[in-house]
Amino acid sequence: MDIFMKEPAEAVSAGSAAAPSQADQKQEDEYLTIALTKGRLASQTMELLGRAGFYCEELGDKRSRKLVFVNEEQKLRFFLSKGPDVPTYVEYGAADIGVTGSDIIMEENRSVYEVLDLDFGKCRMCVAGPETARELLRHHEMIRVASKYPNIAKDYFYNRKHQTIDIIKLNGSVELGPMVELADVIVDIVETGSTLHENGLDVLEEVCPISARMIVNQVSMTMKAGRIRDFISRVRDAVNA
Amino acid sequence: MTDKNVNIYQELLHTPEGVRDYYGEENARKQHVSQAVLSRMHLFGYQDLQTPTFEFFDVFSREIGTTPSRDLYKFFDNDGNTLCLRSDFTPSVARCAAKYFMEEKRPIRFCYQGSAFSNTSNLQGKLRESTQMGVELINDPSVYADAEMIALLIECLQQAGLSRFQISIGNVEYFKGACQAFGLDHETEMTLRDYISGKNFFAAEDLLKNLGLNREQRDQFLRITDFMDDKNALEAVREVTGNERSREAISRLIDLYNVIEAYGYGEYVSFDLTLLSKYHYYTGVIFKGYTYGTGEAVATGGRYDNLLLHFGKEAAAIGFMIQIDAVMEAIQRQRIRIPLTARIVEIRYTAQNYQESLKKAIQLRREGIRCVLIPEEDKEGK
Repeated sequence: MDIFMKEPAEAVSAGSAAAPSQADQKQEDEYLTIALTKGRLASQTMELLGRAGFYCEELGDKRSRKLVFVNEEQKLRFFLSKGPDVPTYVEYGAADIGVTGSDIIMEENRSVYEVLDLDFGKCRMCVAGPETARELLRHHEMIRVASKYPNIAKDYFYNRKHQTIDIIKLNGSVELGPMVELADVIVDIVETGSTLHENGLDVLEEVCPISARMIVNQVSMTMKAGRIRDFISRVRDAVNA
Repeated sequence: MTDKNVNIYQELLHTPEGVRDYYGEENARKQHVSQAVLSRMHLFGYQDLQTPTFEFFDVFSREIGTTPSRDLYKFFDNDGNTLCLRSDFTPSVARCAAKYFMEEKRPIRFCYQGSAFSNTSNLQGKLRESTQMGVELINDPSVYADAEMIALLIECLQQAGLSRFQISIGNVEYFKGACQAFGLDHETEMTLRDYISGKNFFAAEDLLKNLGLNREQRDQFLRITDFMDDKNALEAVREVTGNERSREAISRLIDLYNVIEAYGYGEYVSFDLTLLSKYHYYTGVIFKGYTYGTGEAVATGGRYDNLLLHFGKEAAAIGFMIQIDAVMEAIQRQRIRIPLTARIVEIRYTAQNYQESLKKAIQLRREGIRCVLIPEEDKEGK
């Protein structure tokens, strides 16, 4: 008879194979991670943050191929992502703070704290279509709606207009919908309305105004309360200045 | 076995979205944490309670104010009753307490653990079956009961292995006082509560603007940048609060802070007057526990003084629930080490020495040592 002791390690690291790293833990505490929306919104955001006294030189370097940009001095980390992913990063705590359009925040409907209206990236969420479609919006008739924003469209027609609709999700050039008779109307963001006019469409109803918003992860709001609240109030002062 | 069969078996291997298997070391860690938390609940005199996995739908109905109907798993029994899987233990525990302790006036303490089910379609990577552990303290309306909850939650999280966490505390009465002061009707109050509990401060501000409230009045609802981690800050807010009900709500939080200090846990708590829950049954003190490594609260709780009335018992009550899966995620991300001491002794036997090996195994097990009997591998490598 052989007796073997099967000895599991005295204490098993809860992490995968990696040894517990003090550096990682520190990083979690020390840095504020900010998710920006790629493109014009990112430069407008950085311009605003600059006025609030926060900056990141690395981010301005066009030749850089980095994905994460760090300001060691102020302990800030930035990364760029597609707009609809910003609320996702923030919800899961991959970023403490995010900046993106309120259209995206409404559409994604993530549980994040929406704390500041940044007062740029302004446009309107509208129902648009040919003038002949106006009549269809007056009654509770069943109509077809094409949109990049199915959740916003659904909420507007079901809960505010109490109208039953068929939603067709499109991923771009939504204006085509009514033109090729795929849909009666569209729900989309409108900045100047010139694209609509060129294609014979008009704004028929306004759903809500849109602007860039700052969102915050709910855990960060409590765990990094001091830094986050200071960050918010400095940015808010910059917006109001 | 034919190739076709292999394919069928492989299709059966993965679980539906939102549910998962726990095995091996991960499971051992989860059990270890659950045990540690449970024993702390027992240490505070809480007694185990097991309620059924499914109940009549009415226990989770809209009037109760728990999970929205569309997120519940519903089905029918043979008599045509609508049943649903529990999405939240509190209504079940309240029903149970009302049933068996109708006349009891002294405090009752329950703890529970088990699965809760939520049929949210857009969970995206979140569990539909989650392990929850919690306590309920019934028949004690005092601030000491509130503080016992907070202190027990802090100790449970410590027992789980966490050291860096915060309990954020609010009071639903503060919000209700403001609603009453500005004469908001029930429907508006419910909508506003949904906005604020979802921290959608812009929708809330718009709603208040449309009701004709000025900036100062709106700020009474939306104190988002106020961060209060001691009673001086609370006292300062009480000074500028216009209505009596809200002021009393803040006074309760100050009293609560004093008792929490007596426990020595002042550093773990902060206050947030915009804290509200998606569960409408909460009536007074309400709180959430946060830590690093998970994007959502690891624990939620609060006072629900009217819930038992739905089941015919007039009783104040307070409780909390810990999301064990979220705690495990935090433990993993924070790289906290959990001691797993479960050594297993292996005894190899052959047909010849089985009797002797068995005797040894019986002896070891009597001493409380884990052991297994394993057949000695055949020399020819069968």
